[in-house]
Amino acid sequence: MGCSDSSPNGPPFRMTSIGGSVLNMSFHYGQGYPGGRNAQPGAPYGGSPYNAAHSASYGGATAPAGAPYAGYGAPGQGGPYGHAPYGGYGGHPHGGAAGHYGHAGNVPPGVNPEAYQWFHSVDADRSGFINHTELKQALVNSNWSTFNDETCLMMINMFDKTRSGRIDLFGFSALWDYMQRWRALFQQYDRDRSGSICGPELYQALAQMGYNLSPQFSQTLVQRHSFRGRPGIQLDRFIQVCTQLQSMTQVFRERDTAMTGHIRLSYEDFLSGAVTRLM
Amino acid sequence: MISPAPLRLGLIERVRRSEFTLRQQLREETQPSLLFSSFKMAYHSPYRGAPHINAPPDQGFLWNIFQRVDKDRSGVISDSELQQALSNGTWTPFNPVTVRSIISMFDRENKGGVNFNEFAGVWKYITDWQNIFRTYDRDNSGFIDKNELKQALTGFGYRLSDQFYMTLIEKFDRQRKGQVAFDDFIQCCIVLQRLTDVFRRYDTDQDGWIQVSYEQYLSMVFNIV
Repeated sequence: MGCSDSSPNGPPFRMTSIGGSVLNMSFHYGQGYPGGRNAQPGAPYGGSPYNAAHSASYGGATAPAGAPYAGYGAPGQGGPYGHAPYGGYGGHPHGGAAGHYGHAGNVPPGVNPEAYQWFHSVDADRSGFINHTELKQALVNSNWSTFNDETCLMMINMFDKTRSGRIDLFGFSALWDYMQRWRALFQQYDRDRSGSICGPELYQALAQMGYNLSPQFSQTLVQRHSFRGRPGIQLDRFIQVCTQLQSMTQVFRERDTAMTGHIRLSYEDFLSGAVTRLM
Repeated sequence: MISPAPLRLGLIERVRRSEFTLRQQLREETQPSLLFSSFKMAYHSPYRGAPHINAPPDQGFLWNIFQRVDKDRSGVISDSELQQALSNGTWTPFNPVTVRSIISMFDRENKGGVNFNEFAGVWKYITDWQNIFRTYDRDNSGFIDKNELKQALTGFGYRLSDQFYMTLIEKFDRQRKGQVAFDDFIQCCIVLQRLTDVFRRYDTDQDGWIQVSYEQYLSMVFNIV
């Protein structure tokens, strides 16, 4: 629990418009984000959360927003969310799944109307696509740092069906939903509401997601990704860390068929497992 | 002659004829790489000399390039600035993941870019890769196929199965040509080297097998992917 950070309280991410004016998306704390009060980790996703019994020696099997994204970039799958139009990717019963959006104005079916509105201001060069640079320029953490390059690249690649390094409106809408879910979790696990997640908070978060990892492991992750010496990670690193963790846990699990928590790997198997999940 | 292809990306659009000539001379005197003006131009140039000890590029020459790449004059070259300056010899933007890998290698203060001193390292790094790539891309296509990739990696000392080469091609063939372009080749080599290094640390008896716990495994791959 308790980690202090001198960064101001605020929403974990904002989007900025191209002109430089920052649009605060007003996800302020205390607004009643799902799960915040009753600390029921699975709440935002509705339905059976990841219970401890699942976690075995390591976990993440049913981690939030998990399945559909694990193994992003796996070869030959043509994109992490299978079939167009992005509707119900992964079939997660989270509230407001893509695909359930009705028609509103010119918003194409399956596209989040909010994402639709943002798309055009994020798409700075009006190409009809968003690349990682445009995304990076639009995303700001709660301490006003821009999203780091790795996270932006990772997210673009996750929702880029064509390997072109950019996403269209549908990909952006899916990405939007993805970020919203991580944002909600971030707020939930930022228990002292400092605007960042420190080692102990990350440890708790990962434990509740079903990962069986030591406090030291979380501490190391946080230290590695702390921004300018502050003792905690911002939303961008939180998304990056959790997504990688899902993906890599998946690789490990595939090889730990006996569920012992240890695997024996040949050199080439090690390479393949990592390479196929690369960003 | 300057063909249209090199004109499309990066700095070359501003390069006047006289500068081009100057660079041509510099290249012949120092180093056959003008990646930043255009990979393709250098790539198809008649200069195909054998690798030799490269004289370090002239500081003024580097400074000149640095200033042009650093479009916002911040003194630091960011990912997108470097990406715009680089050409992979095909009609696609330089792989941003490769750009990130390279910058993070030379960015000592974690500032998200490289200053002039660090840029000298970036320059050398990319030109070295360029020379290697050229050696294996014998038909000058800008791509290397599976066999050429295998030759290159075998030359570096890797012993990998054919099946794994298929995996590599599949993964690093961003343009879906069944071949690997220059930028993706660099990324492929960076990743292989990092993974191999970390594997070696755990493979203490050097038998090609490791036994690791869940947390150990995560620690091994977390930095890399």
